[in-house]
Amino acid sequence: MKQYYDDLFSLCGFEDEEINNERFRIKATLEKLELGPEDMERADSWVRQYHDVSLMGVRKLLGAWLKELIDLVLAKEDGKKIVYYGFPAILGPGLMLSASSDKVFVSAPDMVLDHTMGQIFNKLTPILEAGEANGLPPGHAMCSLWQAKIGGVVKGMIPVPDFALASSYYCDMGSKADDLVTAFYGTPMAYIDGIMDSHWGDFPDFLPERVEYLGGQINQALKKAEDVLGIKIAPDAWEKSQENSKQFRGYLVRLVELMKADPVPLSVVELELLEALSGSSAGRGIREGIKAMEILVKELEERVKAGIGVTEKGAPRVMVRLGHTSDPRVTRLLEDCGLAVPLTFILGSFGGVRVEPKGTYNTPGEIIANYEMTGGYYHGTEAQIQFYEKAAGIMRLDGFVAQYLYNCRPVATISHAQKKYLEEKTGLPVLSLEIDNFDSRTHSADSLRTKVETFAEMLKAKKHK
Amino acid sequence: MKALEKLDSHLQSRLTDLNKLKEKQKIIGYTAGGYFPEELALACNAIPVCFIQAGNNNILRDAGAYVCRWFDPFWRSQIGYLTSGRDPYYNIADLIVVPITDNHVRVFSNTLGYYTPEKESFVFGVPHVKDKLALEYYHKGIIRLRKKLEEFTGSEITDDKLRQSIALCNRERELFRKISLMRKSGSSSISSKDFIKLNHASFLADKEFMIEILEMYMQEAGETAPRTESGTALLFTGSTIARDDYKVMDIIEESGGNIIIEEFAEGIRPYWNSVNTEGSLMKNLAESYFMDRVCAGWFRPGTERLNFLIRLAKDYNTDGLIWYHLMFRESYKVESHFFPDMLKKETGIPMFVLESEYDDMEKGPMRTRIETFLETIKR
Ligand code: SF4
Repeated sequence: MKQYYDDLFSLCGFEDEEINNERFRIKATLEKLELGPEDMERADSWVRQYHDVSLMGVRKLLGAWLKELIDLVLAKEDGKKIVYYGFPAILGPGLMLSASSDKVFVSAPDMVLDHTMGQIFNKLTPILEAGEANGLPPGHAMCSLWQAKIGGVVKGMIPVPDFALASSYYCDMGSKADDLVTAFYGTPMAYIDGIMDSHWGDFPDFLPERVEYLGGQINQALKKAEDVLGIKIAPDAWEKSQENSKQFRGYLVRLVELMKADPVPLSVVELELLEALSGSSAGRGIREGIKAMEILVKELEERVKAGIGVTEKGAPRVMVRLGHTSDPRVTRLLEDCGLAVPLTFILGSFGGVRVEPKGTYNTPGEIIANYEMTGGYYHGTEAQIQFYEKAAGIMRLDGFVAQYLYNCRPVATISHAQKKYLEEKTGLPVLSLEIDNFDSRTHSADSLRTKVETFAEMLKAKKHK
Repeated sequence: MKALEKLDSHLQSRLTDLNKLKEKQKIIGYTAGGYFPEELALACNAIPVCFIQAGNNNILRDAGAYVCRWFDPFWRSQIGYLTSGRDPYYNIADLIVVPITDNHVRVFSNTLGYYTPEKESFVFGVPHVKDKLALEYYHKGIIRLRKKLEEFTGSEITDDKLRQSIALCNRERELFRKISLMRKSGSSSISSKDFIKLNHASFLADKEFMIEILEMYMQEAGETAPRTESGTALLFTGSTIARDDYKVMDIIEESGGNIIIEEFAEGIRPYWNSVNTEGSLMKNLAESYFMDRVCAGWFRPGTERLNFLIRLAKDYNTDGLIWYHLMFRESYKVESHFFPDMLKKETGIPMFVLESEYDDMEKGPMRTRIETFLETIKR
């Protein structure tokens, strides 16, 4: 019999059979998340308004997020050993754990909550408030992604993890907030430590000891995970873990090519949905995401052939760091102001401007660390800015909306330097934009509109001169 | 005390003296946190000087041209001083060394590298966990530092010279330790503000002169009658206590608090341990500066430091703990949420959290809150 959630789930790409097969799990998940029939109606119109549901690939992507959400919420009941990792993350260790045992569920739960409770149900605020009331208060530039994670756990919406992998190679906030989880629940954890101690001007070079140290830390974390979770890392875990992500990245590379078209065929809102999925799921979400990508890429090829896009042909093309994880209105603002966004930092690093890894290493940790060092993200600030610079040529950009996340210190380091650097190196205009990428309560679309509109008008005038 | 007067006059002429010394010796400026082994600079006949000035909100405006507001004001102050030249110690340094700890220090190092490339600098990383791998990383970092200093000064760091410098710095640490322990009884003539000022001076003063001053101070303190006013005994801790950031201490003292012991990673020299002078000296430096010292709040987990605070609270028989961290230093903010319960459980004493962005407007509310906290303890 049809239930109150059927229409929404079907809008989000679920087949009827999938809904029927998962009725019990869907219901249990919605109950835990305190979502009732009215929420489904509201979500339905929210999704239709802010996501491009004319594309089946996008609907399936939303469905992939929902499937990841269900598995996350019910992981304890499913008898899984639960591992959480921080975002952004060096994914290798999590993927290897996931590939080593069916009994292990590995996820970035905050990202899953943002993309579902935010992007689909528009009901993230109570979760954020619970995080604020439990150690991460407002007004202190605390990470709102972590507020969602803590909030979700203390509200009992998502389970307490059995083990945590702390991204100590990037973020002080995340590792310390992991300490908070340990203080609350006694959760054991492994800090994967690294130090971004590049001197300005070093990139793409780095000291070999950075790989050795980060790699050694990853190896230690995997060993600890084995002990805590009572599993053995499979000898082929690294290769197995790469299967999904390689496929997914393959589609992202194709997507970069498609996004070179004018007009740009896909909104950055949806781009964000798929980029973030690859960094947030090690399980069903990513597997379903690959299926969604297959459909989406075909749909976009059709659009490109037909000259269909999400902004007008000839619209100024800008690169942004990333789309908003929980509120599509903030991301949509760029296109509402007439800007085309063919590339984000994340898509760029997947699809376009990667530096080749150097050196050969034998342990999984060092192989992962070597790969990540060349990616730039964990190298240092300058490396991150250089990725924007390189993208300018690849995507024929007209400017940059250089966002920085005020409550994410590793990203806030670029607040001023990126504008000066990019203007000097590329000669293109740069709008430096302070955002909260995970919570739109203080940095809403409306609060950003004036700046983005003015910048967009300036770019349009420049382009049509 | 005479020692303090003598120290004051040394500091007043220190910049002029350094300008003269600069003709023959290199001045190595380094950032706060306690991870730069001064011994290495001394062993190549250079003069180490730590950038420890902050506490004035105006300098944050200068920093605002280089970085957003959401970083710790101490490190934004350093950016302000570096770029504006308003702290003469930045102007006088020939080389700036930055041991990179957390992202607040990293943003300073970025500014140094990007905006002031004309200033020669050297960075090395300090891991955030304590284990064998981390010790090895730090060890490699200070080996690179040693090489850099040798090249920069043109002076080889021999084992003999390094051993002598370690002995000198050990003496300084030992004196700080002894002075600190004199306060354990709760009735000494040493005020926390004097102790902190001595620390700050030690970051700038000539090393041998500083040791003389500490010896003199210790003797004078032993001969001086304990301070008569006995306020509520407090442990004072936090992220950073900068030179000229004395307003909180003043308010505490004026409100009837008596700081008996303090713990700050930035602003107080790690003085509880000495460096071994036998065997591999570089390894000993790494052991002491990285492993043996109590970790800063941005270490994960921070349990070692929190346990150390509990021990200090018990050993120094304090009635309360004042936790003073700077705005946006998230590691301390998060710990300040769960530590009060730990502290209460282990010692029975309450903890009170203060935050600052070096704004004068903070004074009034701070005073009211401190007074209320002290009143609560008395009851
Ligand atoms: S502060 Fe930034 S890096 Fe750290 S957990 Fe939050 S989003 Fe991730």
